[in-house]
Amino acid sequence: MNFFKTFIPVIIAIFLILFDYKLSYLNSLRQGVATLISPVYMLVSLPEKLYTWINEQGTGKDQLLSDNQNLNSQLLKLKAQLQQTEQLALENTKLKSLLNSSHTLQQAKFSLARVEHVRRSRLKKQLIINKGSDDQLRIGQVVLGAQGVVGQITELTPMSASILMASDPTQYIPVKSARNGIQAISQGLAENKYHMRLNFVEPELDIKINDLFLSSSLGGKFPDGYPVGRVIHVEKHKNESFLHVILAPIQQTSDLEFVIILEKS
Amino acid sequence: MNTQRPYIFLLKITLFSLILSALPFNEVMLDISPFWMLLLFTYWLVYFPVKGSLFVALILGVLLDILQGDLLGQNALALILAGLFINNVKQSFHVSNLSTQQVYVFFSSCIYLVFFLLTHVLVHGTSNNYYLLLAPFTSALFWPIVRFSLAKCRHQ
Repeated sequence: MNFFKTFIPVIIAIFLILFDYKLSYLNSLRQGVATLISPVYMLVSLPEKLYTWINEQGTGKDQLLSDNQNLNSQLLKLKAQLQQTEQLALENTKLKSLLNSSHTLQQAKFSLARVEHVRRSRLKKQLIINKGSDDQLRIGQVVLGAQGVVGQITELTPMSASILMASDPTQYIPVKSARNGIQAISQGLAENKYHMRLNFVEPELDIKINDLFLSSSLGGKFPDGYPVGRVIHVEKHKNESFLHVILAPIQQTSDLEFVIILEKS
Repeated sequence: MNTQRPYIFLLKITLFSLILSALPFNEVMLDISPFWMLLLFTYWLVYFPVKGSLFVALILGVLLDILQGDLLGQNALALILAGLFINNVKQSFHVSNLSTQQVYVFFSSCIYLVFFLLTHVLVHGTSNNYYLLLAPFTSALFWPIVRFSLAKCRHQ
């Protein structure tokens, strides 16, 4: 009897790990409990909010503040649109060689959110934003910063959403080189949460340090042409069929205050 | 002096440890910070003898997994196994002096860390985060504060 009392919780925990890693059946449980405990994050971020509020009151110029916020949001949107120039350059090269190509860039729709909190576990980092399912956000929406891709929405509560970073080991992003269009899949590195690696790059392909990799619409999960990372290390290992390529994410999260959420087409 | 009922006290310390676990420290501080949930659960386990404590560990661990966005069951498994160790030394823990209790807390934190990292390594691969190895030491260091604070709350 004692044996069962001891091992049933252990077995349940192991099953939870396996189910959560391999399948998505537990997502609804996760969403429900996350909604239930979301006040904890509100409580924890209260002092910071209070500080921001006091700071804002100190200026005493409401108009100035709202103008500033509007301008900031405009600036972010413009910066995100500028990111597509790299993509346009690549498209131009392609169009020169493929005169009959009908591929055109789609103008994406954005919504803006403020980063409320950085949710950190000891081995994982996620951003919490101040918009959730009440604002019509959906799981899987891509999130951008001013410099490039931040990640993807993975968890929603009515008033907040958490973003899985592009550098997370469970995040796979189809990417292509801005210089020569080489395609690969980027994945976060478990041993270094600030870097990503490129999977499935054959040794004979032309990849150099400082090459910029953009998101690719391959698979339909991510939009085309937003900066993801820059190559900082290329190495060919003996007896391995693929190159060992390390990327540094373009978008730094340390000073991220606002993010842009791309609406799903 | 009024001693609180086990599950009401558990509810309070759960909320308190969730808040402590969600505090926005910087990365190094977070890595070396004590395993708050384990410390508070250890106190509850030792001073409130109830049946089914490992199921409680499972629930607390799952709450922590969801709060921190970890793999579901990762903290739960670590907390259950660390709790199992504390359960086995509970009699001795109860009558030990503070420094011996700190040694027990250190070992239970090591068990917690080993299984937490093991799950991570098996699922995602190795991690080079060496600051994490300091967490059992800080857990042991913080144990006296946790014990005295909770003892005060318990008798309120």
